Amino acid sequence: MARAAVATRTYIAGPSLTRTGLVLGLGALLLVLALGAAVTLGSVGVGIGETAAILGHRLLGLPLAPTWTPAAETIIFELRLPRVLTSMLVGGGLAMAGTVFQALLRNPMADPYVIGTAAGASLGAILGILAPLLLPALAIGAGSAWLGLGAVQAAAFVGGLLTVLLVYRVARAGGRVPVVTLLLTGYAVSSVLAAGTALLMFSSGRALGAIFGWLMGSLAGASWPQLAFAAPLVLISFASLVVRWRVLNLLLLGDTQAMHMGIDVEREKRRLTLLATLATSAAVAISGTIGFVGLVVPHLLRLATGPDHRLLLPASVLYGAALLTLADLGARLAGGIPVGIVTALLGAPFFIWLLRRSGTMAAIP
Amino acid sequence: MKGNGITLASPHRLLSPVLLLSLALTACSASPGGSPAASPDASQPAYPLVLTDDAGRQVTLSARPQRIVSLAPSNTEIACVLNACDEVVGVTDFDDYPAVVASRAKVVIGAQVDVEKVVAADPDLILAAGNELTPSSVIRQLAELGYPVLVLYPRDLHEVYADINLVGRALHAEEKAATVVAALTAREEIVAAAVAGAERPRTLYEVAVYQGLIYTAGADSFLASMISTAGGAPVVGDALSTAIQLEALVTADPQLILLGDAAYDASITPASVASRSGWSGLTAVRDGRIVLMLNDLLITRPGPRIIDGLEALARAIHPELFS
Repeated sequence: MARAAVATRTYIAGPSLTRTGLVLGLGALLLVLALGAAVTLGSVGVGIGETAAILGHRLLGLPLAPTWTPAAETIIFELRLPRVLTSMLVGGGLAMAGTVFQALLRNPMADPYVIGTAAGASLGAILGILAPLLLPALAIGAGSAWLGLGAVQAAAFVGGLLTVLLVYRVARAGGRVPVVTLLLTGYAVSSVLAAGTALLMFSSGRALGAIFGWLMGSLAGASWPQLAFAAPLVLISFASLVVRWRVLNLLLLGDTQAMHMGIDVEREKRRLTLLATLATSAAVAISGTIGFVGLVVPHLLRLATGPDHRLLLPASVLYGAALLTLADLGARLAGGIPVGIVTALLGAPFFIWLLRRSGTMAAIP
Repeated sequence: MKGNGITLASPHRLLSPVLLLSLALTACSASPGGSPAASPDASQPAYPLVLTDDAGRQVTLSARPQRIVSLAPSNTEIACVLNACDEVVGVTDFDDYPAVVASRAKVVIGAQVDVEKVVAADPDLILAAGNELTPSSVIRQLAELGYPVLVLYPRDLHEVYADINLVGRALHAEEKAATVVAALTAREEIVAAAVAGAERPRTLYEVAVYQGLIYTAGADSFLASMISTAGGAPVVGDALSTAIQLEALVTADPQLILLGDAAYDASITPASVASRSGWSGLTAVRDGRIVLMLNDLLITRPGPRIIDGLEALARAIHPELFS
């Protein structure tokens, strides 16, 4: 009991300023390095000086006489920069949402997709891919976009959001949403949707490649309009979550304990779920279901910094963004393989090493 | 080609002030369409040119394309048969015909379009493929970057001809396209006439068989129309997945099996087909009418060599008519 009280006090007071500065500073540095490397390197070589000149010209409006080709400018400014910023947004958003769901559900296996976002978004995206093939009338104007989103992205976003709303509604009993019921309902609803996904994939013919690429997650389609859609949603979600660090810390103690500390548990759980789902759905809509980042980055940081969400939330955004940016750079340099393969292939062994080194995984009760 | 270019180019020079004026007027009034320059009338200057591609998209070309990126081997072959091979600056790693294109920049590797490489090739015309062969997300991305992307998606032989004519208009090689199409049509008619009165054997064209799933020509697919034209009655699978279930195959009971997958896998032989469980009772297996289609590429690639494929199919379906 005494130990719990001590723990509670640290949760509320937060970690030391030195450690906070160190962790966040390192994360920011890593992110800047990742950004620089990812914009400079790619399947087509553009020199560092040229890259810097193009960015200076386009972003800062420097009056530089173009010494570069229009193709180089398009590659840097229309392809790489939006792609790198998208990888940062998606990586940061997924890591943040993963942190929230792990605390909310008090479950180390929780990731941003655990209560149905991925299954709903996948089914939506596949319907979006197949609809023009099933109904040729829809294929007319296939290149059109709405709010910068194609049909596939819009369907994925709506699918992810609706699924979580459905799961939350189904899991509610007597005004309460018990964590275990929420997890199991999410699992069950996801299974139904996954069956639909598998059925559509089985009968999709030529489009299977496009569907498969989406399911494995890829940032190849990144563009400024897509970024302009997803960035506000993720940033609003981040701003609203980061000020709720105290609530997340208290929820880790259990619903009853949190209620005794004066938290309106059900209302806070609803808000946290909605905010994390909003960020996840926006990320998934523009990138597909990229795995691993949202599960492992929160754990990595808990091993390094402890379970305090005042530090954990901003740190997960920085490190998630840096990790996915570097992973996507690797994926591009490896001939355009899906980024999810790189995150798992390189990230998982590193995670195992860290896990063995620290000996225990005490962060989640 | 050179001769054509010169004779067609001279009226341009005469008309160019008119063209510029009409462009200026269009720009000032900002009226959508209706520009006299957009008219397909041969007496008008060719560019700027508005074309409608096989996906129903409007594609505008401001001048005759000088740098073409082809995202499918069939598209490359169409550009080359229209004497624009020199202008093709980007191809897929699957491109093999004509041999000269093998040395061009590869912008599609392992069916993945590398958009950076497409941009680096600095194209003024991109020839994409429909039916998700070029993913629609890539088509949208390239179009948003401002490149003219012409999607070619022929569903039967006549749409291949239409695509050759469409690319002919894009390249201002209408006459060459008409000549090519006339020659192909004549050869198609010879095949059609030869098989006209003949019996039409129920024909299974095997695209792939794995995990017990049998992939063949889909209902209403390009391949099914090819088999019909070549004098066979296609045994078709699902329109989207192109798969047929074994029970449906046994019910359809093909009289002839053409092994398209044998072109890529030497282990697929008449003997291996006969040994598959459930296949031994098929009429084609009992009669020993199983044919290796080693030129599958010609039959399934909707380019200007498609009639070579049609003739190969007709010979396989009606060997008695083409001795």
